[in-house]
Amino acid sequence: MQFTPARRIVNPKLGSYFAIFASAYVTVVLLVLIGEHLGVSKPSRDWAMLLVPLALYAVIGLAGSTEKSLEFFAAGRRVPAVYSGFSLGLTAFGGTGIVAITGALFLIGFDALCLVIGGLAGFVVMGILLAPFFRKFGAYTIPTYLGRRFESPFLRILSAAVISLPLMLMLIAEIKMAAFSAGFLTGAPQANLLALIAVTMMVMLSRGGTRSLTWSSVAQTIAALLALIVPITIVAVMWTNLPLPLLSHGPLMRPLAKNEAFQGLPILLAQGFAFDMPGYGLSVISKRFATTFSAVGPAGFVAATLTIMMGVACAPWLLPRIATTPGVYQARKSLGWATVLFGILMLTAASIAVFSRTLLFESTLAGLVPDWFRQLAAMGYAEIDVKQMTGSAEQARNLLSSLSINRDAVLFALPLAAGLSETFVALAVSGAVAACLAGASAAVAALAASLSEDIIHGTKAEPPPDHQRLPMARSAVIAIIAIGSILAAIVPVDSLALLLMSLSLTGSSFFAILVLSIWWKRMNAYGAVAGLVSGFAVALITIATGSMEWLAFDPALAGVFGIPAAFAATIAASLATPLPSRHERELIRDIRVPGGEILYDREMRLLRLKKHQRASDPV
Amino acid sequence: MIERKERKPYWQHTKWQMLASLIPFLAVIIVLPLYAEKLNSNRFMGFPLGYFLAAHGLVLIAVITVASFVNRQDAIDHWHGAHEDT
Repeated sequence: MQFTPARRIVNPKLGSYFAIFASAYVTVVLLVLIGEHLGVSKPSRDWAMLLVPLALYAVIGLAGSTEKSLEFFAAGRRVPAVYSGFSLGLTAFGGTGIVAITGALFLIGFDALCLVIGGLAGFVVMGILLAPFFRKFGAYTIPTYLGRRFESPFLRILSAAVISLPLMLMLIAEIKMAAFSAGFLTGAPQANLLALIAVTMMVMLSRGGTRSLTWSSVAQTIAALLALIVPITIVAVMWTNLPLPLLSHGPLMRPLAKNEAFQGLPILLAQGFAFDMPGYGLSVISKRFATTFSAVGPAGFVAATLTIMMGVACAPWLLPRIATTPGVYQARKSLGWATVLFGILMLTAASIAVFSRTLLFESTLAGLVPDWFRQLAAMGYAEIDVKQMTGSAEQARNLLSSLSINRDAVLFALPLAAGLSETFVALAVSGAVAACLAGASAAVAALAASLSEDIIHGTKAEPPPDHQRLPMARSAVIAIIAIGSILAAIVPVDSLALLLMSLSLTGSSFFAILVLSIWWKRMNAYGAVAGLVSGFAVALITIATGSMEWLAFDPALAGVFGIPAAFAATIAASLATPLPSRHERELIRDIRVPGGEILYDREMRLLRLKKHQRASDPV
Repeated sequence: MIERKERKPYWQHTKWQMLASLIPFLAVIIVLPLYAEKLNSNRFMGFPLGYFLAAHGLVLIAVITVASFVNRQDAIDHWHGAHEDT
């Protein structure tokens, strides 16, 4: 008889491996910087900065190649809390978060904080309500967990079908953002960049599944963190003499507020559920930074915070990765690290927004359109409306309203604005691409696992042997990446809107049933199906009516109706139907206790035992 | 392994800990941004106070909430013998 130990041995050399990666990455940056001063041509420098890290991630992914299902679906359950937490913190919003939220903070200031607060709270809620129990159960995907927890193959297949929509939206958002970022740097056609990213992801993920995903996204987290923090730290030293941009941008905010007032930015008041997030394309800067509720109404702010919180708490691209931690205690701890990293990333985004705004407003105050803004306009990422620039007395006031900038270009414009060398633009882009890859590959791995495990083999109680199970999952990975990148080329929707829609769909359909499946003993399979279907349907209807503008509700807030509907339906349907079976009641008792055998492994062991008995039983 | 009669007190304890960690945190993240404008007239380290609390303050509160929860819940596990075997 084979027992799986609850904790597994962690590779002691992990620290040195990732130190090697970090120094390799820094070396590439320094070489490109030296190349710039030696006169190497810009295209070759830019491509080096883009392709060398991609090759490194692909190599890390290939090094995680495996033939065992425990490794392929759960990275061998030996990823320490710090590593898994850091990559969770990055992949919650992925590259869309870094690029688009920096832009949103730049354009509407305080109101974009609802996204940040929602993500943070999501990690807290996940760590307290879901993660330790999901780790104790040890299932590889959310549908497998639901199917085994309620002994219902129907629920398993249904939830696998429902979960694929938000995962696909997340995947499209991330791939689109990766192609946009790479396009900002190289100017290559989007189709070629999409193909490049798709091929990189196929090489990276198809051999090792979640194991490749885990270790390559740790490397991507290091890259993204360096690329986000290094340029802004240099800018902070130049402006405030302190290398701490997160804390030192405070003194810039009073002059900024005076500047805003002087240049005639109105104090706007958004009402109720208004939710005016800047979309893709050019936007005029018309909101003050520190003024609250100028674009998002107070009720919209709270609703967005809660919707995003519940979406992140049960995000299907995050929750299955909790199963890769070595134990329940480590699973709780990893959420702490995720909160730390997510906080650092988002505060850095906020400080980038303040510094960029200061740089722009200082020069418009003097009546000048800065050079970097003209450069952006020449590249098509900004526009200077010449018509409004006439009239000398009113020029300072009008100048600002004649400028519009692409939301997603703000992050990459900072090094240009501060007069840093071109290498730092390339560094920022390479970090954004790394973050997009981390987000996209997390979605791919989760979607491939649920497709191959829960839809194709969903009706079987016992999973097929590894030599059938892994090729199926590998082909699912390749097919999903191909479909995702084709859709990313076709779908004309903004990445941030897709991400928010995906979060409100997951929150509405899964938050209620996952939380109640642990915290409410009386819940049964009927309740789970009812909650899943009604939450999903209500959210979809809200999104459909919202985008056709029948209802004054942004699709991002669909959770406001979906989540209460899901809770109500789950509770009502469970109470109206018979008590859960004896086995389910035993299962929930065991889920709640951290000690003891991993439940998924125990079920597999019992199934094998039964099969042996049947085989040896002479009938 | 946890003893049978310890299961109920263990879960009671865990539930209270969950509520104690979650409710104050949720109250802060909902209420604080609504009053940020009033706090903005004060300053802290150069930041408008409302913005500072909604950005840096909430990050700090979230990290402290998770850290204290992990610490307390681990103590509860050990107290009732529900912890993982090493």
